[in-house]
Amino acid sequence: MNRLDALRGTTPQKPHDARAIAALAANPGCSRRALMDGAGIDKDAAARHLGFPAPFGQSPFAITRGNAFEALVKADGCAELLRMLRDLLGLPIAEVAYHDVENVGAHLRHTHTRTLIDRAVRQEDAGTVYDHPLFTLDIAGHTAYLEPDVVAFQLGGRFHIVEIKSFAVIDGQADPAAVAAAARQAAVYVLALRGLLAELGHDPLRVSHEVVLVCPENFANRPVATLVDVRRELAVLRRQLTRMTTLDRLLDGLPDDLTFDLLPGEDGLPTRPVAELADAVRGAAARYAPDCLSTCDLCFFCRDEARQEGASDLLGRHVRDELGGVASVGEVLGLADGTRDAAAGQEEIARLLRNAERLRRECLT
Amino acid sequence: MSDRLDDLERRIDELRAGVRTAMRARDTATARTLRAELRTAERTWDTLVSGDGPATEHGPPAGNVPEESGQGAPRRARAHGAAARRGDGPRLVTVREQVHQALALLDAPAQARLIVAVSQAFFAGSIRSPQLTSLRRDEERSFRSSPYGRPYYLCAALTDRLSPARGLLTVSTWPAERRVVGPLSPRVDFLTCALRVARHLGGLPGSLPDGDRLLARMARNIPGAGDDAFGPPDPGRVVEAARRELRVHTRRDTRDRAQLAKRATSQLDDVAALFGAATLSTVAKESSTMRGGR
Repeated sequence: MNRLDALRGTTPQKPHDARAIAALAANPGCSRRALMDGAGIDKDAAARHLGFPAPFGQSPFAITRGNAFEALVKADGCAELLRMLRDLLGLPIAEVAYHDVENVGAHLRHTHTRTLIDRAVRQEDAGTVYDHPLFTLDIAGHTAYLEPDVVAFQLGGRFHIVEIKSFAVIDGQADPAAVAAAARQAAVYVLALRGLLAELGHDPLRVSHEVVLVCPENFANRPVATLVDVRRELAVLRRQLTRMTTLDRLLDGLPDDLTFDLLPGEDGLPTRPVAELADAVRGAAARYAPDCLSTCDLCFFCRDEARQEGASDLLGRHVRDELGGVASVGEVLGLADGTRDAAAGQEEIARLLRNAERLRRECLT
Repeated sequence: MSDRLDDLERRIDELRAGVRTAMRARDTATARTLRAELRTAERTWDTLVSGDGPATEHGPPAGNVPEESGQGAPRRARAHGAAARRGDGPRLVTVREQVHQALALLDAPAQARLIVAVSQAFFAGSIRSPQLTSLRRDEERSFRSSPYGRPYYLCAALTDRLSPARGLLTVSTWPAERRVVGPLSPRVDFLTCALRVARHLGGLPGSLPDGDRLLARMARNIPGAGDDAFGPPDPGRVVEAARRELRVHTRRDTRDRAQLAKRATSQLDDVAALFGAATLSTVAKESSTMRGGR
């Protein structure tokens, strides 16, 4: 881990939250992000210092709306939630026990969550709904505290994570990107709860891979619940997290004196020359995709870099995958009009590109 | 008439003394509440003395406090009652009075959101949830400076650790069993509230759109209470459905609550029994000698 600490330097570490961890799974191929997150670097501060601040974070209106909707769902001992769970999962009428973990002080919340979950598994005092639990997850040797606004509840001996989101489900359809983000975030909680059960010596698979997603229905504020399978997100997340703990392979490829240190001065403002930091960041390869714009603080820096290099990444993940092995737009055009010879391994894609170019010319003339 | 004036004068004197004590103790919150009460009392006195006569003859506006649970009503401050009865606009009824009205109707620990909804639906209330956030702290401070100085206090519900439950308000005159919450209590209290709202609504002569909407919202979450029908819910059906579900939970909940109440009365002092034992963090902060709940 010493190498990672050296990468971070004197800048204080930034704790991970569920959103950040979920974003990791969004772009597993990016080693720049893996390194910076592994070292706990404040990417937002780095991006601002580099001159590419990302207009990032949620709008205050969205946060207020989210909180109001969450309060509605949880009001009166989770009355709305219980109705949905009875409809959706056939929760028995007698199962209504509600535990608010937040009733203990903030510093005891994690311990209290553990005690309650342990008791629930042992069937001693099985509650149904656990409000405001606090989980932990080990991220590259550091403990991240996850504060799910969600409720973990027990049904027939299995725990389900409930994720409350304020985007609307209209006629059974919701914004796929929003659902995917919610599923990724819920997967983080599933993973954390499974870790907790394993730690307590219980079967981790008692946490269901199906999470309950609660959203407003149609144009009203009435909540509706759907089951979302997060097995795929779990697999990606797990892979990404193990990759973060085994960053050695990535670290070996880096020059020894590389550091992302911002050298904060007395007032906490970064003092490191911008050009030097930019060079250091470029030292770790990024894998830019347009989706990064909604998940990563460094997105504008990476996009700028991709533009300067004329990288095919700019055209989106789908195009990049089709053009496997050809990195830049110029190279692609060269292969297509025959001014450039295909390197080893590029013959297949070169043939396809030439055919495409011929078709295009025939269409246009 | 004149003994009402005498009463008021006595009350005004009391309130003035109260304001002075509060100011000396630098308890501005209590002082502010007392001042508001004082002003109300003085205004009532003015009206009475200038001989508007029938001011006292005004009957209470229909349905204002019809289902008073009995414990709080006779001991209420008179000036308050007078202000409420005069119907001089909702501003004259203090926030705590409005909260008390709503809680008396609900007869169970409730969250601010529900209290506000009930107050707006049935009492033309003007309170908003943010006004309720500091209420409990103010009440606690007032109780500490002069214990049992008021006929009732709005206080916290107690959890199984005997600490204050988040966001739940109760009335100090309720029995201890009703002021503690076990794991099943939120549901039981919700059903009780729905039952009380339905009964209250069923007893009113005309229809009340706000009340109907509140009941419809509650009924949706009770199985068999009429979520399939359009239009306002049938109060009788809601009562029936709530009773049916209550039967499932009552036994365990009553047992849990009785145990908790016993623990609370044996372990807590007066302040903590109403406002909850300090959590460990506050104990550490104040290094107080109060016994925490476990």
